[in-house]
Amino acid sequence: MYATLVIFKKELAGFFKSPLFYFLSFMMTILLSILFSISLDKFAQTSSNAMLQFGMQPQLLNIHYSVFLPHLSIINLIFIFLIPALTMKLISEEKKVRTFDLLLTSPINSVSIVLGKYLASLVVVCGLIGVSFVYPLVASRVFEFSWAPTLVAALGIFLVAAVYSSMNLLASSLTENSLVAFVLSIVFNLSIWFVGALNESFDEVLIKNILEHISLNNHLAGLIEGTIRTNGLVFFFSLIFLFCFLTERVIESARWRA
Amino acid sequence: MIEVSRLSKNYGEHQAIIDLSFTIEKGEVVGFLGPNGAGKSTTMKIITGFMAPSSGQVKVCGFDVFENPIEVKKRIGYLPETPPLYTDMLVEDYLKYVAALKQVPKNKINALVENSLKKTQLTEVKRRLIQNLSKGFKQRVGIAQALVSEPEVLVLDEPTVGLDPKQVAEIRDLIKELQGEHTIILSTHILPEVQATCSKVIIIHEGKIVAQNSIDQIEKMNQGFLLLTVKTKRPGSIESQLKNIQGVDSVEVVSAQHYRIKITEQDHIIDRIANEVIKSGSGLLELSPSRANLEDVFLKLTYGQSKVEA
Repeated sequence: MYATLVIFKKELAGFFKSPLFYFLSFMMTILLSILFSISLDKFAQTSSNAMLQFGMQPQLLNIHYSVFLPHLSIINLIFIFLIPALTMKLISEEKKVRTFDLLLTSPINSVSIVLGKYLASLVVVCGLIGVSFVYPLVASRVFEFSWAPTLVAALGIFLVAAVYSSMNLLASSLTENSLVAFVLSIVFNLSIWFVGALNESFDEVLIKNILEHISLNNHLAGLIEGTIRTNGLVFFFSLIFLFCFLTERVIESARWRA
Repeated sequence: MIEVSRLSKNYGEHQAIIDLSFTIEKGEVVGFLGPNGAGKSTTMKIITGFMAPSSGQVKVCGFDVFENPIEVKKRIGYLPETPPLYTDMLVEDYLKYVAALKQVPKNKINALVENSLKKTQLTEVKRRLIQNLSKGFKQRVGIAQALVSEPEVLVLDEPTVGLDPKQVAEIRDLIKELQGEHTIILSTHILPEVQATCSKVIIIHEGKIVAQNSIDQIEKMNQGFLLLTVKTKRPGSIESQLKNIQGVDSVEVVSAQHYRIKITEQDHIIDRIANEVIKSGSGLLELSPSRANLEDVFLKLTYGQSKVEA
């Protein structure tokens, strides 16, 4: 446990000391600032003359659907590319500069290595989501709304980001080259969205059901509506566990593959 | 302290080490000697638990490296061929991190880091980024890293690579200083280094141990013999005449004017050889005796008798 903490602290400090992190968060906030103010402005216009909007979807008159959800989906889109950039070096760099030797000859097990690094990346992701909450916070001075559904939706995004982090950690452990890890991570992150889309191309009910159940979209949809379902949580946690476990196996395999 | 028995490691088809067995007692400084690719690093990696062997067993301080890796790793400080440095960290922070990784209790970390900085003479650069240090300093940070947890066993893979002669001497002094409190294994292909620092030598060649003993005894393997280098002014074929002299063990013809002769250690044989050369009319240019030393033993054991008739 102590070893996990040591690695966690070192990696966390590493994130906040690297210029890359600040550059990425800078880019992210710029994008969000532009897009959030546009959608907020649109929403203000629609709601100011709501009576004229005949036949319009009633959901669009709800700030949660017309402003916060697009905001969160942009964060998700950014995360698909940003999390790989943050995590690409976590293990690949250690392999490249041979500090991996130090970790493997220290009295710690590979579970601590993976957990320490993974938790550090989660804290960073949490921080980024926290920053993105400045926008709804500002909006709350102008509009009155219920926070609960937005927070649940943010939890959904956080879980998706946690899945990205675990997959990208695995990608980083597979190679010595951080650029390869970066590209592989993006491929991973994009592909989990396509699994759900595959069910359109199958007729068999069983396959359809399976694909539907392993689709990230389905599980996220519930959270976005503001409902927390246990099966969704179990799904997210099993994915995270699976990829962390695979990473641990890859690290452990270095002992006999080398 | 360290028991290695019947250790083998294959990389696919290639056998890196074959059936190695040796024991190292507490407080010994042991030199692993061998040409490049002999299996020195592989053996060290297995002892430190970095890598699993294909077969065989290693025990460090009574703990099996594979059944009890955590206990073994607590007791070992390891400097790999490439020092494992986080180049974006300060020297001091890096050593603190390594100490924490090695499970040093929190209240001892600062004192131990100071101590290892002092031993490796890094105190002046402790507030500098590792990436800005020269190669020699980086190597010393690597050594400091191995020392920082005050392990019982130190495994140093080519510790003096990249250092200037003064630093090499300093590292040798450091190793001598550590002798006694730590058991040290160091690998090298630089012979004077072994002679200067080690109490015992293990010579490895093509994955096998070809000699293991104290330095004195290894040097004795060639005792009783002298090596003569003879150079003549003019080319001539005096090989057979030289061979006929009683006490001459072997004659190697380097060129028509250059011979290397191994003789039993008796002064009058040198006189006779000199006489023989002068009699032949080739003209004696140089005749210099040298005692067979570790280097000859090393070359003989690793490159075979055919090349060096020492």
